[in-house]
Amino acid sequence: MSDNQKSTTDQILDLLLDALAERQAARQPEPPVAEDQMETAVANSVAEIAEAAEQGENNEPNTLEAVADAVLAEPPLENLQPAEWEPEAEEIPAIIPEKLPSIHLEKMLYQLSAALFVLIILINIPLNRFGTNLARAMPDEQSIVVRDGLVFKGSGDEIYILEDGKKRWISSIDAFDYFGYRWSQVALVDDGFLEQFEDGRPIHVLLKCNTSPHVYVLEDGAKRWIDTITTFQIEGFVWEDVKIVNCNELRRLPDGLPIPEDAGDPPQP
Amino acid sequence: MKDLAIIETILRNRTFFFMEIRDGIDLPQKMRAMLVSSLIFFALFGAVMGSTHSLWQAMSSAVKLPVLFLATLFICAPTLYFFNILFGSSQSLTQNVTLILTAITVTAVLLLSFAPIILFFLLTTSQYQFFKLLNVAIFSISGWMGILFLSHGMRIVAADGASDESARRWVLRAWMFLYAFVGSQLAWTIRPFIGAPSIPFELFRQLGGNFYTNIFASFGEIFGFIIVQ
Repeated sequence: MSDNQKSTTDQILDLLLDALAERQAARQPEPPVAEDQMETAVANSVAEIAEAAEQGENNEPNTLEAVADAVLAEPPLENLQPAEWEPEAEEIPAIIPEKLPSIHLEKMLYQLSAALFVLIILINIPLNRFGTNLARAMPDEQSIVVRDGLVFKGSGDEIYILEDGKKRWISSIDAFDYFGYRWSQVALVDDGFLEQFEDGRPIHVLLKCNTSPHVYVLEDGAKRWIDTITTFQIEGFVWEDVKIVNCNELRRLPDGLPIPEDAGDPPQP
Repeated sequence: MKDLAIIETILRNRTFFFMEIRDGIDLPQKMRAMLVSSLIFFALFGAVMGSTHSLWQAMSSAVKLPVLFLATLFICAPTLYFFNILFGSSQSLTQNVTLILTAITVTAVLLLSFAPIILFFLLTTSQYQFFKLLNVAIFSISGWMGILFLSHGMRIVAADGASDESARRWVLRAWMFLYAFVGSQLAWTIRPFIGAPSIPFELFRQLGGNFYTNIFASFGEIFGFIIVQ
């Protein structure tokens, strides 16, 4: 063989090796091919290229690229079976990826956090004396969570509180205040909604002090004496509702009409 | 702001980040940075949620939301660790906690990115049930993305050939359900986060019912076939 012929074969082999290297790089995340299969494939490819080169000398002038392309057109590697391939393994890179350059995300996060913080403060600043703020300024419907403690009223003046599935009428403004309810709590509901609940015991403020046997009901800022136990029961009061208070505080409350009204002068506690 | 830089590493160079966890590089620093970042983000999102009710609720939720996620982490981390050990893993508890913290941090960042959406709906509607379900949806999406990160991280960190791959995958899947279940139950226990209108502020609400029936009932009320009890 002449030097010229040797160099042609070398060039073909170089081209082949380059092409194989490129393909190998392109297949990096794919499964590893068994080593012995790889060696056989490479040996076969080299033999085919050498044969093609000889044919090229004897017959028509094939370019080196054409010879290499012809061999690589149907690469034998395609037919090789991967060695112990597991689908999830493809997500684990064999080579440590290069770290991407910073885009200074932390600055953006810092700005977003700061902006949110300012907005949270802004929407919570009260805009009027009732404490309305931007966050709760929308006057549209509000869902009612039906549960014990719900304070609600229909089209009438009566205000109720829900307890054990029954609506209890709050009998007076004094009772409303005494038990710490607030007007902002009162949910307006349809009368039909009210009617679905059975009536429970009305809520009164029944007061008594330790040193006195008398029981009073608080109404319109005054204490009304309940003359007897019978009256107490007839009016529908129950002992569990009686609150024990300081006698001096009870005495300070002005007297209202007794219950019943013809019961006479009310005694002081 | 230095601690926030870890977010970029997690989001953009996650493989690199997980490989560092696998190799045990700077784990305490990573944990600290993730803890600080997620605390800030959860607190902000909690404050936005609670603002629908009152300033007190906003402050309460700003504290409760980070507590919720971190408590869930500490409740569930030992289970994952010991089950991984059982199936041949050689990861340390610190590596496990760092991985879970990564998931939590991703969840926190995504929640923060949703915060403007929540603010928008907060200012334009006051329908409680809708708002509650919107938040549940956002938490589900963010939580799921966090879990995907954890799964990805676990695969890389556990790729040492020592552990049984198939068993490890099942352990992780089972643990994800456990994590979601514990998280939702804990959230139910320390509720409210949003605060129901017509009910005054309360730090904790009385127990009763559960998270799932409440979500079902909220759907019911929105579509008009049930009243939330």
